[in-house]
Amino acid sequence: MSEVATKKEGLFGKKERKMLIDPLNDNNPITVQVLGICSALAVTTLVSKALVMTIAVIFVLAFANLIVSLLRKGIPKQIRMIVQLVVIATLVTVVELTLKAVDYPIWKELSVYIGLIITNCIVMGRLEAFAMANKPWQSFLDGVGNGLGYGIILILVATAREIFGKGSFMGFQIIGPSADYLIDTTTNPWFSWYMPNNVMVLPAAALFVIGIIIWIQRSRNPKLIDIS
Amino acid sequence: MGELFNIFLKSVFIENMVLAYFLGMCSFLAVSKSVKTAMGLGAAVVFVLTLTVPINWVINTYLLGPSGVFKTDLTFLRFILFIATIAASVQLVEMVVEKFSPALYSALGIFLPLITVNCAILGGALFMVAREYDFAEAATFGFGSGVGFALAIVVMAAIREKIRYSDVPAPLRGLGIAFILTGLIGMAFMSLMGINPANYMN
Amino acid sequence: MYSNKYVTIYTLVMTVIVSVLLALLFSGLKPIHDANEAVFKKRDILKAIEEYLPKPLDEMSDEEVLAMFEEQIEQQVLDAEGNVIEGIKADEIDLAKEEKKPVDERKYPVFIYNSDKGKLYLVAVRGNGLWDKIWGTIAFEEDFNTIAGVSFGHVGETPGLGAEITDNPAFPAQFKGKKIFEGDKYVSVSVVKGGVKDPEHQVDAITGATITSNGVTDMLKEGLEIYLPYFESQKKS
Repeated sequence: MSEVATKKEGLFGKKERKMLIDPLNDNNPITVQVLGICSALAVTTLVSKALVMTIAVIFVLAFANLIVSLLRKGIPKQIRMIVQLVVIATLVTVVELTLKAVDYPIWKELSVYIGLIITNCIVMGRLEAFAMANKPWQSFLDGVGNGLGYGIILILVATAREIFGKGSFMGFQIIGPSADYLIDTTTNPWFSWYMPNNVMVLPAAALFVIGIIIWIQRSRNPKLIDIS
Repeated sequence: MGELFNIFLKSVFIENMVLAYFLGMCSFLAVSKSVKTAMGLGAAVVFVLTLTVPINWVINTYLLGPSGVFKTDLTFLRFILFIATIAASVQLVEMVVEKFSPALYSALGIFLPLITVNCAILGGALFMVAREYDFAEAATFGFGSGVGFALAIVVMAAIREKIRYSDVPAPLRGLGIAFILTGLIGMAFMSLMGINPANYMN
Repeated sequence: MYSNKYVTIYTLVMTVIVSVLLALLFSGLKPIHDANEAVFKKRDILKAIEEYLPKPLDEMSDEEVLAMFEEQIEQQVLDAEGNVIEGIKADEIDLAKEEKKPVDERKYPVFIYNSDKGKLYLVAVRGNGLWDKIWGTIAFEEDFNTIAGVSFGHVGETPGLGAEITDNPAFPAQFKGKKIFEGDKYVSVSVVKGGVKDPEHQVDAITGATITSNGVTDMLKEGLEIYLPYFESQKKS
């Protein structure tokens, strides 16, 4: 009994839990570490796209961390970067081929952004900073945690943009000018002023939303405030 | 010719790598604190994009495509080959520049290695494939995207140099305001959209 | 520091493992990719006549889409003069490729859907938006004059503005019931700013997307004109 307990402690101890949870807020890859903004903001017009992107990034990040951590003692220093890039690029290709087979329309919508996970700074950053120096299981968790932290912001931004821009959530129509929506603005007297706001669909809106998320996060957690 | 000019303008202003597609954001935010360094990175990106997009076009068409030398569809190797080409060209550029123009090297030097993992570079190559450009179009697009990136980062650095003296709410300072500023610049760029040079050519 | 020999062997082994792995995965999934692509294209065509279908497209499985194409849709291919060419199916025609050929060698697809309320004729058009290509499927009723439905697609129009031709269902919905002939004269359907004056031949433009809207007008005007001889010959027979 006690043996099982210690083993469990080893897999999901305090340190491991912190590893998973820390990137969600205090050490968030997007809003605090400023990594990985590149490839993903353009996929935040719809929640469904952001969700697929999140899953893809978690997969790539976790397994790249795991593989590099397993290989870390044998990787020749001279070609370290290239080996890391090849591992990432291979995993990303796997994701792309799988997605194309599983859900073709989403694959078509995400187009080049799946490929751009390769240069997502989070992946390279975590490989260099963590996986090269830590054990496989910890590295795997670190990958999942950072992927989740990245995904949370992505989904928050996508939720805001989809609800205000299109009046829907995950394709479920909430508010809009026809009977297909839950709240029909043409007949409902309380919401007749409402118009879906196209500004939210423009690329610039994603940046505003992130700016506001950072604002809220830092007001609640002043130790993150940038002095410069 | 009009078509090429159109692609150039489009990649600089409208489909700007940073402002419309958020590519290269990491270095865009990290290196836009002063105009001088921003110009260095901008120049390096123009250089590398102009070089790698056409090279990757050749690889994609003559090596990976079904009509290439191997006569088979090897597109599943695209990501690996693209990123390897980019890493190799960056290395090569670094060595060549160091040998022949030490002055340029000391100006670009520190930024070159950073560029391998700049999303804008790989993004340029992948967009070139997705949009089915021919060689001339790909080369123009590479150059234009680089110029677009450089323009955006220099503008951003200029604004950030000034905003340091402004009374921004504390939690927004630094990163937060940088995001909002990028959004505003992006919207300003969008107003150039109605100008389609192709309409004036014919 | 590792020796050069070690580095070389390491690189070679890695390259071999990675390429074999990806090659296996790719060839294993290729048939699924191709099948997915075919269904995707067919759904895109059917979108123009969605309301005539027995159930909404989202609820149709891939097999149902394929079965519908097999059983209820006739395919024809036209040459540049509007004559039907035998021995080729319309879903093999890609207007993007046809565009690169000389005008008189181009081929055009026609899909004929046998619905309960008579036949619908679906034709494909392609043109220029603000930044890149736009295209559309236009469905006609049996009089070859009244539009039964349309769907549009685009490569790179601005999200929230030009891209609304695809993203906003209200825009294509306006085309239903419009007519392309005024008496005997071919006038096509125009996208106009600032209110529709001629409800038979005009639809409202998208605010802020003037050039994409004009692109749609031009695409319809020029694209449908190609099909006119075919329409004439069908009306007679």
